[in-house]
Amino acid sequence: MASSGGTRTEASTVTDPAWPNAAGLSAPAGGPVPIRVLCLGNDLLADDAFGCLAAEHLRRRVPGAVDVVFSTDGGFSLMDHLEGVKLLVVIDVVMTGKADPGAVSVFRGEDLRSAPGGSPHYVGLFESLALGRMLGLPMPEEVVFVVVEAADCLTIGGAMHPAVRSALPAVTERVEEIVGR
Amino acid sequence: MTDHAKTEPDGRHSRRITIDPITRLEGHGKIDIFLDERGDVERAYFQVPELRGFERFAQGRLAEDMPQITSRICGVCPTAHHMASTKALDDLYKVEAPPAAKKIRELVYSTFMAEDHALHFYFLGGPDFVVGPSAPAAERNVLGVIAKVGVEVGTKVIAMRRRLRELITLVGGKVIHPVLGLPGGVAKPIRAEDQARFQEVAGDAVEFAKFTLQIFEDVVLKNADYVNLIVSDTFTHRTHYMGLVDAGNRVNFYDGLVRVVSPEGREVAKFAAPQYLDYVAEHVEPWSYVKFCYLKPVGWKGFVDGAESGIYSVAPLARLNAADGMATPLAQQAYERFYETLGGKPVHHTLGNHWARVVELLYAAERMKELADDPGLTDPNVRTLPTEKPREGVGIVEAPRGTLIHHYQTDERGVIEKANLIVATQGNAARIAMSVEKAAKGLISGKEVSEGLLNMVEMAFRAYDPCHGCATHSLPGSMPLLIRIRDREGNTSGVLRRDSDGSVHRD
Repeated sequence: MASSGGTRTEASTVTDPAWPNAAGLSAPAGGPVPIRVLCLGNDLLADDAFGCLAAEHLRRRVPGAVDVVFSTDGGFSLMDHLEGVKLLVVIDVVMTGKADPGAVSVFRGEDLRSAPGGSPHYVGLFESLALGRMLGLPMPEEVVFVVVEAADCLTIGGAMHPAVRSALPAVTERVEEIVGR
Repeated sequence: MTDHAKTEPDGRHSRRITIDPITRLEGHGKIDIFLDERGDVERAYFQVPELRGFERFAQGRLAEDMPQITSRICGVCPTAHHMASTKALDDLYKVEAPPAAKKIRELVYSTFMAEDHALHFYFLGGPDFVVGPSAPAAERNVLGVIAKVGVEVGTKVIAMRRRLRELITLVGGKVIHPVLGLPGGVAKPIRAEDQARFQEVAGDAVEFAKFTLQIFEDVVLKNADYVNLIVSDTFTHRTHYMGLVDAGNRVNFYDGLVRVVSPEGREVAKFAAPQYLDYVAEHVEPWSYVKFCYLKPVGWKGFVDGAESGIYSVAPLARLNAADGMATPLAQQAYERFYETLGGKPVHHTLGNHWARVVELLYAAERMKELADDPGLTDPNVRTLPTEKPREGVGIVEAPRGTLIHHYQTDERGVIEKANLIVATQGNAARIAMSVEKAAKGLISGKEVSEGLLNMVEMAFRAYDPCHGCATHSLPGSMPLLIRIRDREGNTSGVLRRDSDGSVHRD
């Protein structure tokens, strides 16, 4: 891959809270990153904005060596955030319907059935990871998920559920435990 | 666990089968299948979750912010929203962008289309055709595609995608939050060195597209089973087709007039963006919050196909059908071969979308090359300053998934009073509903629902590549499915669950 020169200067970290970076061209240019906290979400979609909120908060809390990224990316675009990272911590909201809004869960890659195959038509983080490994790209050695149960991710400009918002300290604590080891 | 699961043998009640994804799930499609007393399909409904609240959200905001805001709504096709919105601003301020600005916009847009189509063909559509619809579930995924086409092809796709995205970033600022378009032009001109990079990548993109077409030939067209599947009645609907065309009635993604052809291929409408409300209307069904688009002059006649029904479709197959050809030479050759092979125009086979997408990939790459080679591309005059008072504007582009319409009404300061979006999936919603029902009817009968049948039903809508709102970064990432079989009283008589690893369980 040719370097894209000056166009990638704002690539990997969130620098402006009002315009969280999601350029999707982060890892290879800046060399390997030992730890990345990848916050997924959409700041326009109610509870889905949690990832953005978490990124802003975590940037001030975690050690400087930890790369904090907010991204609205989906599908294979996520691969851009995976390359060259050793430990990847993913923050996202989920809607399992089995927990109250705001409930925080932590699970590791190996806890999940990582083999893709459930749906041929949807491609997400696991597929990106599996594809990256198959193609010999430098994929994370370890992936940990910190997720918050959401109530609404479909209302454009919707407010965040108070319980989801108040999960921030718990999420921060878990992330600090994980990256602080 | 099991490949098949039987529903409860219950001949006396109508039952409902719900194929419902279960983790961040709202974002995915949901299928309800109602069975009659004999266990045959009575009706099937496909529901796409729709983002809510856009109109209210837009009210009171400055129209000129909309290209940035609307591109943030969806992580899948930000560039399409950005461009439709920018064109709506041109119309709102009655200002025409200078030639270089139009070329830059179309160049960036063609780059985006090439990227999106390539990813869809290999990684999203590939499991159906490259791996095959009857392959074991564990292989019907992107890894199965790579296993079949080879690691070096996978590497090629990923590398091509990255280079295309870098170009979009180079000119657009950001892929997800582009800052390129302004009313009357673009934010900055293209420098000579940027042009050289576009030329280089565009040349490679054309080769990549040719290579992809060859893969399609080798893997799909040389397999009689696949061709038979494409032309099978299960995946066939005779509807109207819609798409943007240039002055020569050739496919155009960025600009032109919207052309509609009948199921016989006759032109029945051709209109400019501001007239869309004379041609497109929305139908509401009690069981769905999706608004089903139909042709206003023909009218809503229910979920039926034929010339008397106002149902139309959009996306690659519809664009090819709605046009008389492609504007670039290699794509034109591929276009002719497409129609020769599939029995003339229009092609009504939904699965033809996958092939049409590759034809369009070639066009997008060739168009990139043409624009990148254009000496006028680096003209520094890229903005016409608006002087008119704003009131109302409509912008239309062809998103990868079909015709996308942005419509804003503002006060004299350009503050939005009313906004309307018609996204591509709405244009296909009625036809998708028919496809799912037809596939379900053809494949499910006698009280038995197998995973293989569900795959075929899913294939019926996957070809359209429907946009699933917020599900752009679903976690865990795969799509588990929950199928509930219910009687009329709503009692669950059986559950079929497919987990994210593809295993099927019966609870």
